[in-house]
Amino acid sequence: MNDGDRTAPARGIGDHVREELVRFVRALRRAGASVPANAAPTAARSLAEVGLGDRDRARTALRASLLTDREDFETFDRLFEEFWRRLAAGLDDERARAEGDDLDGGLATLGAGADAAASPDAPDGDAPDDGEGSRSVGESFAAGPAPGDGNGDGEEVTTALYSPSGSASAVDGRPVAGSEELAPAFRDLSRSLAGLQGRRFGPGTDHADVRRALRTSVGTGGTVLSVPRRERRRTAVRALLLVDVSRSVLDVVDRGFLVDFLRLARGEWRDARVFLFDEELREVSEPLDAPTATAAVRALEAAEAAWGGGTRIGGSLASLHDRAPEAVDRRTVVFLVSDGLEMGDVGTLESELSWLAGRAKRLFWLNPLAAGEAYEPTARGMAAALPYLDGLFAFAGPADVADLAGQLRRQGPGGRVGYEFDARTTHRQTTDGQTENA
Amino acid sequence: MTEGPTTAFGDVTESDVRAAFEEADYVAEDDIVTTTLLALRLGKPLLVEGEPGAGKTELAKVLAAGFGSELIRLQCYEGLTAEHALYEWNYTKQLLAVQTGEDPEASVFGEEYLLERPLLRALRGDADRPPVLLVDEIDRADDEFEALLLETLSDFQVSVPELGTIAAETPPVVIVTSNRTRPLSDALKRRCLYLHVAPPSFEKETAILRRKVPDLDGVVATELSAMAARLRQEPLRKPPGAAETIDWARAVASLGDGDANGHLSAETVRNTLGCLLKEVEDVERVDDDLLEELLDAAERATAGGGP
Repeated sequence: MNDGDRTAPARGIGDHVREELVRFVRALRRAGASVPANAAPTAARSLAEVGLGDRDRARTALRASLLTDREDFETFDRLFEEFWRRLAAGLDDERARAEGDDLDGGLATLGAGADAAASPDAPDGDAPDDGEGSRSVGESFAAGPAPGDGNGDGEEVTTALYSPSGSASAVDGRPVAGSEELAPAFRDLSRSLAGLQGRRFGPGTDHADVRRALRTSVGTGGTVLSVPRRERRRTAVRALLLVDVSRSVLDVVDRGFLVDFLRLARGEWRDARVFLFDEELREVSEPLDAPTATAAVRALEAAEAAWGGGTRIGGSLASLHDRAPEAVDRRTVVFLVSDGLEMGDVGTLESELSWLAGRAKRLFWLNPLAAGEAYEPTARGMAAALPYLDGLFAFAGPADVADLAGQLRRQGPGGRVGYEFDARTTHRQTTDGQTENA
Repeated sequence: MTEGPTTAFGDVTESDVRAAFEEADYVAEDDIVTTTLLALRLGKPLLVEGEPGAGKTELAKVLAAGFGSELIRLQCYEGLTAEHALYEWNYTKQLLAVQTGEDPEASVFGEEYLLERPLLRALRGDADRPPVLLVDEIDRADDEFEALLLETLSDFQVSVPELGTIAAETPPVVIVTSNRTRPLSDALKRRCLYLHVAPPSFEKETAILRRKVPDLDGVVATELSAMAARLRQEPLRKPPGAAETIDWARAVASLGDGDANGHLSAETVRNTLGCLLKEVEDVERVDDDLLEELLDAAERATAGGGP
């Protein structure tokens, strides 16, 4: 590419650039980047300001105007290459036409420019429309932020743990010892989650409300008769629990503990809805309301809630999306209990998680396997899910619930929380720094 | 889309921005310079995101100092309300006015009873240069406050129900910073240009240390940057930002430790680590093995010119 006197900055931008810019913005949106509605005009003005002479400056300008999230940077960089190439080709084309030259050689292919999309035999001209455009949101995200190194392919290692079909068996959990430990841990968790709620003021008793005091005093000629008070509005926790009850999960997590946890959630939180899924999704909120754990298990049996099938996380979330989208709103904290050993389509999992993460207040993944000392989220489904989560936590016993509560209390839910910060273990990054920055 | 109001910085050039950064010893890559330039020329607010200590707040301070503008800072926190950010009525004065009741027709909702808060003050700046408004750590404020900012950011005006709309003659330069502890609303994001400040690279950090802590030995500066870079690869609760590295460098410089060749000892590193790591868990994570690795990284950096 010959950078240089392509266009003078002062000339503003021509029709060709504008056209390519629109194409670029559309490609970005299709690839899943969140580009605000008014971003394109801003981008055009930015380009006019910095000019097209320097590729890096143009890229920075577009990135500042079009993107709103660091997660989209990689998608942007990938598509920008294409945009710049087409732009350069188109500009050369325009100039060549102005000079009356013939197009030949490599320039001819590049020079296809704006009408390349229409010609079927321009191999590189239509990439932003077809090549990138047909990527699903999920794929683009997967190609984007790969958290940590060496995550992508843990498939071979973990295949043995998949439960592709598994024979479903009737619910047979029994109450276990340890529920005394769970109750205080759970209370902590509720309190930490209550801290997530907004800090809106309402009538109350904590602070004097000067503004209202003055307003009411106007009626009494400026004499303040009573001082109204106000306080932060307190809200109960709203939660949605999605529990993977496939064979692979039930092998690791104690069923009694699981049922206790779900029952506490039902009892203490407002509107906590509970769904179980293995290969399909079913709501079990009501059976869990039974007065004792044993009764709850019996109620689950009566409801024919089988568990222990295979794992289809993406498909199950999709059926939640279809059947009960109202279970999630912007005040809901979503807990997804699963080991992430997805046997269905990872693309579906990603697009559904993206929906869930965008809609819920917080999305936490509780993974029974993460309680292991050397755990790394390398399973296919788990690795794909990571970018969408507000936190990935261990979930094998009351101690894990206590740690979850503790981390949320100390760091706040948006902070650096997750299994790797668990104070009880020392997860050490496995990659050595030597190779990365060499 | 309409053009924004004319800005006082519409004719700023790239070399002006670079000079301002240079003057304040602010080491910036090209993308920071270009984005800042765009924000100034287009008159758009600049949303700066990045890890704590990456130099987000510093950017605003440097801009204000470099262009001789006043810096108006609004630190956001949970529960920040309109009374603290926009304006408030002077209740005592109003109360007295109502009680004396000299002129029953006069309103107590006039200019003289209005207390300006940072946002309003930024809009009514009376200096020749419009002020730089720094809305710091917007992610700490509530959603409601974010909504309140929208009018200020897009139209550079504030509506006071009792008085009418107060608009800026020359809009201020607005820098909004966020630590990404929660996602911001789309409405806010689409009004701003976006800049992500990455944790400094090894080279940039060495350059920063040379500028900011001139009395530190060059070799030691390289070593410190290499160790900070290595530490950032650990899953720390609070990875060190450039600000922490500068603190650390100052501590090491004032201690004057190091052997004849200027190399750091394990003991010095261990003793001064508190400047860099601010969480008990993080400090505990640095055991002898990791310390060894840090020193290795430092040695490689001074020997080979890279970590």
